[in-house]
Amino acid sequence: MELYSGYLEDPFNHMKLLCPNSMTSASTQFASSMRIGGMYDRDHQLGGMWNDPYQVDDSQTTSPSLGDVKLDNPLDDVPNELQGSSKSYEHETSKPPEKVLRRLAQNREAARKSRLRKKAYIQQLETSRIKLAQLEQELDRTRNQGGYISGHLGESNVGLNGAVNSAEIAAFEIQYAHWVDEQTRLTCELRSAIQAQVSDIELHMLVESSMSHYENLYRIKAIAARSDVFYIMSGMWRTSAERFFLWMGGFRPSELLKILVPQLEPLAESQTAAVNGLRKSSQQAEDALSQGMEKLQQTLSETLTMGPLGGPDAIVNNYMGQMANALGKLEALVNFVNQGDHLRQEALQQMYKILTIRQAARGLLVLGDYFQRLRALSSLWAARPREPS
Amino acid sequence: MHQAIPCSNTRAWPRPGDISSSPPVRQSGNVRQVVEDNPVVVVGRKGCCMSHSVRRLLQGLGVNPTVYEVSTEEETAVAREVCGTGDAAFPVVFIGGKFLGCIDRLMAVHMSGELVPILKEAGALWL
Repeated sequence: MELYSGYLEDPFNHMKLLCPNSMTSASTQFASSMRIGGMYDRDHQLGGMWNDPYQVDDSQTTSPSLGDVKLDNPLDDVPNELQGSSKSYEHETSKPPEKVLRRLAQNREAARKSRLRKKAYIQQLETSRIKLAQLEQELDRTRNQGGYISGHLGESNVGLNGAVNSAEIAAFEIQYAHWVDEQTRLTCELRSAIQAQVSDIELHMLVESSMSHYENLYRIKAIAARSDVFYIMSGMWRTSAERFFLWMGGFRPSELLKILVPQLEPLAESQTAAVNGLRKSSQQAEDALSQGMEKLQQTLSETLTMGPLGGPDAIVNNYMGQMANALGKLEALVNFVNQGDHLRQEALQQMYKILTIRQAARGLLVLGDYFQRLRALSSLWAARPREPS
Repeated sequence: MHQAIPCSNTRAWPRPGDISSSPPVRQSGNVRQVVEDNPVVVVGRKGCCMSHSVRRLLQGLGVNPTVYEVSTEEETAVAREVCGTGDAAFPVVFIGGKFLGCIDRLMAVHMSGELVPILKEAGALWL
């Protein structure tokens, strides 16, 4: 290959004359060396040297390039040179095939090994990529369901879900998961009950169960809020699409009423007026709570802002005082979350009073179905195929 | 955090001369006296943000409530006077000299639609 191109292209065209096929035969060599111009004619006189190529001194260098042969050398030097070159010739005629073949074979082997290594590396990369994608998906799913990897986090105050007091929050997450399951079951029952047109009494029982089920949610939320109010406020325990509508740690009652009313028609005039009144009251109450919350944010910011620069003692005392002050203010946050849930509860109770039992059943079905669809949307969103970046 | 969408399009913009922009009427002295003298009184801790919510709700309905601020030392004493027990869930609301309740009660009464009639009856609202 490349290695021998110089060899092949030597200025004296020796290799062309010395065919590789006939390299090993000494007689051929002799004959070939005889063919080489008149260069060696004078060597005939040198005698037996040429007749026996294998008597050549082995210590001669075996340079493949025959450009070393100097034609202009004095006669004295010629034999040695020629011996050297003849030795080179001999070596070239005998070695090239073996060496070339061996080198070629080694190259092939090296290339093959390299290809195998590359293949193995790529396979490794692929499996790692798949594993990474799986882990990411699992993480998303866990986050969406507000999952908690249990066990040995009792030491630290902050759990993997970012919540303080992980044990209580983990308990809440488990309870909430059960709550969602039960909610799904109740919604299903409502649907089949309405379609089957069961009696009012049976519907009544279902409606009562659904209502108290919502109350269960607010109860466990209240307990969790005492452990970590920020966790409840952030809605991390809900799915992403639900979080989009987050207000005061849950849904806005007036928005839910807006969704419900078209699904409940036909309503009596008094009912329509009552529902509109309820929605308006809810909006007013929600706004009042929102403004209170804004005030809390404002006072908290003011409490935390750096005070007047004094000596080191003053600064430290200020800092400690401000932190203590801020901590005290944070306690108020729990009250806001509780009031939000209280508003939701009141809205439910009032609707229950305004509507007939059938309308109430249908309303609860609509709500349960709506929440289910939001959760489903979140799952679809999390699992959507993404274009490679 | 508590509101994903910044501005509700149903929130009323403050009009000139709106009650909510005027400062709350603060009173001190004997709480019982204050309650009797004023149609709507909100008794709450100083700087309490829930009191602020209560006030905002009442102001949104067209009422300018009197605010009686309680310091931490006075709390128990005032609570005892106000609802008979030493443990009151401030803020509490008085309408027409009568004890209505804490914020829970206020919200429930408002959601049921009974608050406006009560206010009108106490002479706090004219419409």
